[in-house]
Amino acid sequence: MHRKKVHMLALVSGIMAGGFLLSSTASAAEAGATAAMLANTCAGCHGTDGISGGPAMPTIAGLPANYLKTIMGEFKDGTRPSTIMGRLAKGYTTEEIALISDFFSKKKWANAQSHANSKNATAIDAAQAAKGGKVVADAKCDKCHEDDGVFQDEDTPRVAGQWLDYLIFKMQDYKNTALKVPQEKKMETAMEKLTLEDLIAVSHFYASKK
Amino acid sequence: MSMLNRRSFVKLSGAAALVGLSATTVSRTGFAADKGKVVVIGGGYGGAIAAKYIRMADQGIDVTLIEQNTHYYSCPLSNWVVAGFRDIEVQKWGYEGLKKHGIKVVHEQATEIDPATKTVTTKGGTKFKYDRLIVSPGVNFKPMEGYDAEAMEKMPHAWNAGPQTVLLHKQLSEMRDGDPFIMVAPTDPFRCPPGPYERASLVAHYLMKNKPKSKVIILDPKDKFSKMGLFTAGWTKLYGYGTDKSKIEWIPGGEGGKVTRVDAKTMTVYTEMAEFKSSCINIIPPQKANAIAEMAKLTDESGWCPINFDTFESKIHKDIHVIGDASAATGLPKSGYAANSEAKVCAAAIVALLNGQKPGEPSYVNTCYSMLSPTYGISVAAVYKLQEGKIKEVGGGLSAADASDAVRQQEALYNESWYQSIMADTFS
Repeated sequence: MHRKKVHMLALVSGIMAGGFLLSSTASAAEAGATAAMLANTCAGCHGTDGISGGPAMPTIAGLPANYLKTIMGEFKDGTRPSTIMGRLAKGYTTEEIALISDFFSKKKWANAQSHANSKNATAIDAAQAAKGGKVVADAKCDKCHEDDGVFQDEDTPRVAGQWLDYLIFKMQDYKNTALKVPQEKKMETAMEKLTLEDLIAVSHFYASKK
Repeated sequence: MSMLNRRSFVKLSGAAALVGLSATTVSRTGFAADKGKVVVIGGGYGGAIAAKYIRMADQGIDVTLIEQNTHYYSCPLSNWVVAGFRDIEVQKWGYEGLKKHGIKVVHEQATEIDPATKTVTTKGGTKFKYDRLIVSPGVNFKPMEGYDAEAMEKMPHAWNAGPQTVLLHKQLSEMRDGDPFIMVAPTDPFRCPPGPYERASLVAHYLMKNKPKSKVIILDPKDKFSKMGLFTAGWTKLYGYGTDKSKIEWIPGGEGGKVTRVDAKTMTVYTEMAEFKSSCINIIPPQKANAIAEMAKLTDESGWCPINFDTFESKIHKDIHVIGDASAATGLPKSGYAANSEAKVCAAAIVALLNGQKPGEPSYVNTCYSMLSPTYGISVAAVYKLQEGKIKEVGGGLSAADASDAVRQQEALYNESWYQSIMADTFS
């Protein structure tokens, strides 16, 4: 039987089952593993549905699909430095990365929350957060990370309520020019201007926002 | 039909199944737990996840988890407890979170599986009928001369976390300065391949601070081990490995590391050529699938449970799935993360089967950290696919050999976060 005929049959069945099933039937057959199958394997580190339980791992639930795709693509092609993600991203096709990104983008964001057995999570410091607020205003971080970092669009992730240790790690990486972290020109300029102490304060500020 | 290849056939039946499913779903709207009964034996990294992800995918499936203990102690990160920089209480988890998913948690010991009547019986005599059974029992030890239940209290294995972990730490802290910490490593395959070497590293770290005249001696039946290059490079840097002042001495099988028997009364370990004495001896015996899997004849001559890689259904008994360390998931390591990943493949397959669908294509991941000191972490991470009937790595690898100290420190912190997330995934 030819491939085309198989599609025809699947199409007929799909119509019989109701139009809404058509797209899922076709895409599942094309893509191999389903989005849930692929994405659930991430939960060991990023938490169930992408809500991280660990201070150094980012919550990815509800982040923009395009942002997730871009970052994963950069991990895959090696342009974005990482300890582990670069190794894992190479195991997925671009299509699979799209499925995983869409899956997590549809989940609901939850602010970072330590549980009883949490250890080594850096506590949010009110004085640092207040200092960070001033840095954010001076450096105009809120031009893109609007609404105290709650805002997100296709290229901008939500940063408010993200895990503090993760934010500090990333600020250290973005500041370190030797790592060549892919970033917007505006981010790069801000990184040049701000000290590491400033950036740690900024991390406290955004982590404190919900 | 004869001209249909397998993939086309799956596509066709998948489409047909979807038609059937949509009708079923409509007629059953509002009815809970009528699609079938799943019983899970063992509430650890594998079983708890399988139970939870079945309920997350389909609340119409009735799930009962049978776990003899009311609390679970995580093996991952328990080596930190052995080395004295972590409290055992941080390793302890309960089952309240799983109950919120509608999972019935039964704290009894499963003692019998009858594949013919599809029934599990517990020690207390309670019987549980199943449509699909998941067995995630962990490991048991193969016999080793001189190493019985009594000997375990004097020469702890600490290869199941909990009281054994605490006991080994106690013995280490009470060890005479100058005595060696003797570790007997197991033959392949065994639970947590880098585990013995992480333990040796962290004990060496402890000894540097607390028993400066002591060192670790690893008696190993093998000539190589997991993450070996990263471990030995780290040992060289941190513990003087390879010099006469080294805090770690590794004796491989080819150089007399194979232990033939142990004597707990005299605290002696015998190899083919020599004997080793100490006040602190850690025996990690060779392993096999845990007792319930063996009793139910789910194991083959290897001691592990042969399964189909796409569903984790036993190749011996229909409708019984085996996941985690007990399964012979050739290609995947016997790690906590692999157990988590296998559980999700198994859960998705069971949900599909109970809905009259064909199981989808699996995807597996392993991410495993090891600590060489409290601030020096390394990792292995990989993505796997089922290709030509085999589980094959399609991307991944080890931490870079030339990584900076900052990266090693980051990986140590990621290890802690890994633990928090995977435990939240498992128990909440």
